[in-house]
Amino acid sequence: MIWIAIRMLTGDNQKFYGLLFGIAFSTLLITQQLVIFVNLIERGASSVYNVPSADVWVMDPVSRTTDVNFPMPSTALDKVRGVAGVEWAVPHLRASASVRTKSGDLEGVSVIGVDDATLIGLPKNMVVGTTDVLSRPDTVIIDDVGTTRMFGEASPIGERLELNDQRAVVRGIADSIPSFTSQVTLYTKYSQALRYVPGTRNRLSFVLVGASDEISPEELTARITEETGLRARTRDEFAQDGINFIIENTGIPLNFGITVALGFIVGIAIVGLTFSLFIRDNIKQFGALKAIGLTNGKIAQMVAAQALMVGLVGYGLGVLGTVGFIYAFSANPTFKGFYIPWQIPLVSFASILVIITLTGWLALRSVMKTEPAAVFR
Amino acid sequence: MALSLKNVSFSRQVLPVVALVGLVIAVLYIVTGLPDRELEEPSREPPRATGELAGQNRVAGAGIVEPSSEIVSVGTALSGLLTAIRVEPGDIVQQGQPLFTVDDRAARASLTEANAQIAEARAAIAEASSARETADRQLALFRNVEDPAAVSRSEVIRAEGEAAAARQRLELARSRLSAAEARANSVRTEIGRLTVRAPITGEILSVDKRVGEFVSAGGPQGAGSEPILQMGETRPLHIRIDIDEEQATRIKEGAPAIVSPRGDASRQVEAQFVRIEPLVVPKRSLTNSAAERVDVRVVQAIYALPMSEEGFRVGQQVDAYIPARESAR
Amino acid sequence: MSGQPSLDQAGGNGPAIAVRDIARDFVAGQQTIRVLHGIDLDVEPGNLTYLVGESGSGKTTLISIMCGILFPTEGQVKVFGTDIYDLPDRELVRFRLQNIGFIFQQYNLIPAIDAAHNAAVPLIAQGMDRKEARDRAAEMLDKLNIGDQANKLPNQLSGGQQQRVAIARALVHEPRLVVCDEPTAALDAKSGRRVMDLLREVALAEDRSVIIVTHDNRVFDLADRILVLEDGRITHDGTKMPKDH
Repeated sequence: MIWIAIRMLTGDNQKFYGLLFGIAFSTLLITQQLVIFVNLIERGASSVYNVPSADVWVMDPVSRTTDVNFPMPSTALDKVRGVAGVEWAVPHLRASASVRTKSGDLEGVSVIGVDDATLIGLPKNMVVGTTDVLSRPDTVIIDDVGTTRMFGEASPIGERLELNDQRAVVRGIADSIPSFTSQVTLYTKYSQALRYVPGTRNRLSFVLVGASDEISPEELTARITEETGLRARTRDEFAQDGINFIIENTGIPLNFGITVALGFIVGIAIVGLTFSLFIRDNIKQFGALKAIGLTNGKIAQMVAAQALMVGLVGYGLGVLGTVGFIYAFSANPTFKGFYIPWQIPLVSFASILVIITLTGWLALRSVMKTEPAAVFR
Repeated sequence: MALSLKNVSFSRQVLPVVALVGLVIAVLYIVTGLPDRELEEPSREPPRATGELAGQNRVAGAGIVEPSSEIVSVGTALSGLLTAIRVEPGDIVQQGQPLFTVDDRAARASLTEANAQIAEARAAIAEASSARETADRQLALFRNVEDPAAVSRSEVIRAEGEAAAARQRLELARSRLSAAEARANSVRTEIGRLTVRAPITGEILSVDKRVGEFVSAGGPQGAGSEPILQMGETRPLHIRIDIDEEQATRIKEGAPAIVSPRGDASRQVEAQFVRIEPLVVPKRSLTNSAAERVDVRVVQAIYALPMSEEGFRVGQQVDAYIPARESAR
Repeated sequence: MSGQPSLDQAGGNGPAIAVRDIARDFVAGQQTIRVLHGIDLDVEPGNLTYLVGESGSGKTTLISIMCGILFPTEGQVKVFGTDIYDLPDRELVRFRLQNIGFIFQQYNLIPAIDAAHNAAVPLIAQGMDRKEARDRAAEMLDKLNIGDQANKLPNQLSGGQQQRVAIARALVHEPRLVVCDEPTAALDAKSGRRVMDLLREVALAEDRSVIIVTHDNRVFDLADRILVLEDGRITHDGTKMPKDH
């Protein structure tokens, strides 16, 4: 009978494609919007995840995110190094500066000063050049998305910039995920960064810490805070801080929430209407089947099979569409590093299940209410 | 029935297969596309506390390598052109060994002049002595003439006067001699001062002036004047570690510290405790900032590097870990 | 094909259907309308029975009650000795599936599946393998002389062909009671007779009763028995129609 149900469903092309479109469109809308939303707010964490080796970030108690930071005196580094369980600790400077390009334009940039000796704080991979170029004087490494922003298609290698009246030469391109604002990021040595950023009394933005094997990062953060009075966050906590900052300070969650809700509503509307139309068209056949001797359970199975078929195929097409979308735009710098968190297809799958269960149930009710005797009228 | 190839149904067979393939692609894309957020070990070794210090309380600080004598900046007492430098950076010199000389031509000219004056004085002495002899003999001759009529009284008086004058001229010439000798001596001393000698036994760390440059007296503490060369006792080397005053009370005095040079953290050396400087000073910039104004004050602890350690240079920055007192906090 | 609860009790001589004192009320708004008043009726096996009446006479209600798809308000219906309204719901549904064949006025074929599959629906619903069921249905279509149309969809068939498919569906599982609603209503006199002939020929068997609801006077002569229903009461029971009709 399931076979017959599927035949009945696909026999009516118009409604079948209508249903598929409704489901696929809802899936696409929900999945794609959620993907963009998640990736967009995860831009708040990209600065943290760009540093591949730090277990713990230590900062002034008032610092909130990588960009909203209050610098500490340089001895904070030694304080942190003095805490048992700290395997290593290096200074890390993040500040914004204005750069004058060769054409004379002023561009806001983030200057990131990484530890001179170990270069801890650089992104994991380089697009052009090696990290060794930092040992040459006045070297900065630019991030790949910043390159396109500042230089377009032209290669930035060898370009001279003016930072705080100091010369800076671009000698490498780092492979990093852009921040929320997609600001151009220049990596340089800590000592160099001190020259590039206009001076204030305290300069040390963060201390990056590696935890020793015996202690978990969570315990270590508690210990650092207790012993130094500084704020310490594990990598994941600090990433979450960045995300929360964006959630709290922008309208993004609301906007995307509305779109996702719209996707859900559109899905329910299209699928619900089409499905109940489809059932109504077939109500006589269902009545005949009931008279011939199909139990309500069997009928429900048939409707469920139809709903599942539409749901699964539509969902598959919608997910394919989302993947295609993300794939098609992956080359665009705006979408650099976008990925599909595995939870999102599950969320949209659950939404689709809700949609087809709801509409299937509504449709089924009319079938169930049909008296078999109605076929003789 | 409808399962032959030409009867393949688009909606019943193709679409589900497309959907299934889509799901498989999606799974693959999602799995391969997940961002790489693995934590990894730093590629270059950062300084770390090892051994016993790894798990226990400790005090960390940035330090700088210096000679055990601290740096001696050698200057000159007299201004002038540098005429010779006798040492090169890296030379080991003994106390008193000449280091450089400042132009002594003027002094030597003065010496020649003084010597000439000595000769002149000596000639004057000789001339005055012979004149006095002549006068004395004349006077004796007149005295020995018994006949008063043979020599007039006035003759005698003149001869007496000449003898006295000759004696005085001799005296004068003698005092001029000693004046000229004194002058020659003082010029010689000056010439000696123009050659600067090593104040201590040690290593020449830098030579900052070249032959022919003008050096002025006043020494490095004088405004605007630079040291001509810097030296210090580098056996052993000391390390001066800045420790935040808040942390300073935790230092376990007497315990050895673990130090490693900047950029070569895998190399760790045990340095012996020497002393803690009695004076707490404002933090001196070791972070290369040109104009650092800091409200942090630091205690400086001095540790001695073992003599056998090669490769530490004066002025090099090091990262140091010092054990903390058990009772700390 | 498990459970044919009727077989044991269906002694060779008992009536195929025994209707005892059936009444049926419909509720319309505030008032209750009684459409059947104490019907007593036996239908013998192997008979072709006509149920004739004006619309509103209650014949549809009666046929529905007799074939187990409408509960009577009062009374008892025994089909092959089984009191069908005493059965639990599921058993009643299964009883219908095993023992009753339906031919609907509008055929109610499923448009998305071909003629043979449509005819095979009762077998498939009984749980038979789809291929086997279709083969059996195709044989039945052969018997009805539309074996060459087995692969066509209902909307590719003419009205008469569709009706034959519907007849095949009603007979494919060899039920012991076939219920037929106005089979000739949409047909001209000639086709109507042909269908009736066909039904007599194929559907009627020794242990199978056929009940046909109709008011088509052109085919009254083909019945074994004619029942006339007026206002919820049987007013005529005989082999021929009364004169006044």
